[in-house]
Amino acid sequence: MSIPLVPSLLRAHLAELAAEDKRHDGRDRFEGRDVELEINCLPRAEGSARVRMGDTIVLAGVKFQIMTPYPDRPNEGGLMCSAEVRPVAGRNWEAGPPSAESIELGRVVDRGIRESGCINTEDLCIIPGEKAWQVILDVFAISDDGNLFDAFGLAAIAALRSATVPAERFEVGEDMPLDVSKTPIMCSYHKVGGRFVYDADKREELGGDERIHITLGDDDHVHSLQKGLKGIFTAAEFADIMDEARSRCAELRDLVNEKLEGE
Amino acid sequence: MGGYGDVQCIDENGIRLDGRTKDEVRPVSIETGVVPVADGSARIRWGLNDCIAAVYGPMEAHPRKIQRQDRAVLDVRYNMAPFSTTDRIRPGFNRRSREISKVTAEALESVVLTELYPRSKIRVEIEIICAEAGTRCAGITAASVALAHAGIPMTDMVVSVASGKVHDIVVCDLNKEEDNYGEADLPMGILPNTGELVFLQMDGDLSPDQFQEAWDYNMEAAKVIHEEMVRALKGGAE
Repeated sequence: MSIPLVPSLLRAHLAELAAEDKRHDGRDRFEGRDVELEINCLPRAEGSARVRMGDTIVLAGVKFQIMTPYPDRPNEGGLMCSAEVRPVAGRNWEAGPPSAESIELGRVVDRGIRESGCINTEDLCIIPGEKAWQVILDVFAISDDGNLFDAFGLAAIAALRSATVPAERFEVGEDMPLDVSKTPIMCSYHKVGGRFVYDADKREELGGDERIHITLGDDDHVHSLQKGLKGIFTAAEFADIMDEARSRCAELRDLVNEKLEGE
Repeated sequence: MGGYGDVQCIDENGIRLDGRTKDEVRPVSIETGVVPVADGSARIRWGLNDCIAAVYGPMEAHPRKIQRQDRAVLDVRYNMAPFSTTDRIRPGFNRRSREISKVTAEALESVVLTELYPRSKIRVEIEIICAEAGTRCAGITAASVALAHAGIPMTDMVVSVASGKVHDIVVCDLNKEEDNYGEADLPMGILPNTGELVFLQMDGDLSPDQFQEAWDYNMEAAKVIHEEMVRALKGGAE
């Protein structure tokens, strides 16, 4: 991603607002944008989701392939998560090989899902040593108005949880729902005007400093953390956003459960 | 063209697998403003095809060596999302998408008044979200609507559609099975106000009469699709 020059005016403006505990779009410090979640919206994918948070829009699609298990893990299939931010999503995203920013995005989302253990790779074995499922989760940005991390994380877990194993098409049994035992959710906080805010939009990202991404699983277990960009934060600041993340993750988990029950 | 005889794409009554007669277009719906951060955007749903086009610019052409002193350059990218097809598509460089990007750019350059924006660049991003035959046509059509939505001056929009042949019968607007098992594919890019062409490809086998029939089907289909393009632009986003 090419980083545009940040007008010092934007930084100064955000700092002034922060001093009055305000945000440029009128939200409270820990208030997120409205979240729209749609499930099974991609007819060619075995599981899919579309997430909209303000003007940020992303898609996630799950595909399955048959793989030969690795020799040291003959009873296990695989999970691969890849995230792409193509130039369609915004004027600062460029064509060409994936940028460091988009690789970081994909890896942070991948860690949250993988480390939660929501997919048991032994369940993906078809014939030990010969055949196993590889689950491929692709997350794709349509429109980037900030906080792609949380949108990607939410679309990713919703798509996985909606997925059907296409066993009939591969002639290895009957189609069945993919077993996903947990619902890890990511919440991201950006330092804007000297204090952390939740769900920063593009202006806040451009005029802000460091960011922290927290992925929490069921029962508030922590599954991934990432601090990005230049900046210094205190233990007290972290404790503060961790508290916020617990309640926000629970709300978003309820939203995913509600959508899936409606299917 | 595969030419596999074991898939029956048209029944004895002339009805195709998706229920159409041979001269019918798949249902087409278009909406604008689907990429809110872009200067212009459009989404076309055409049969099972689902395609998003976004336009950014005119903006500074960078790097400078791509600048043209007398006109803007169109930087067009056609890409299929990994989950857009039955078998996953690996992200990255791909000869097919490079060729489609090139012919799409040339079609659009034929109508955009690029000379109004010397030394600048207009980015056109085409993303296929779900594919069902004719994605290049869907891409060109969506890109035209997105350019108009961005307020880029053009002499006309381009309507693109492909007809072809299956079991020796010429059919309008090929679907997936007809594209896979048919014997010919004739995609065209048509300027609806004059009937002129800015894009043309063909592969397969057509007799002179069949070629004319496929050509005429495309011309008729373009009128139907053009109406939906205009409706989407006039009505704005749903």
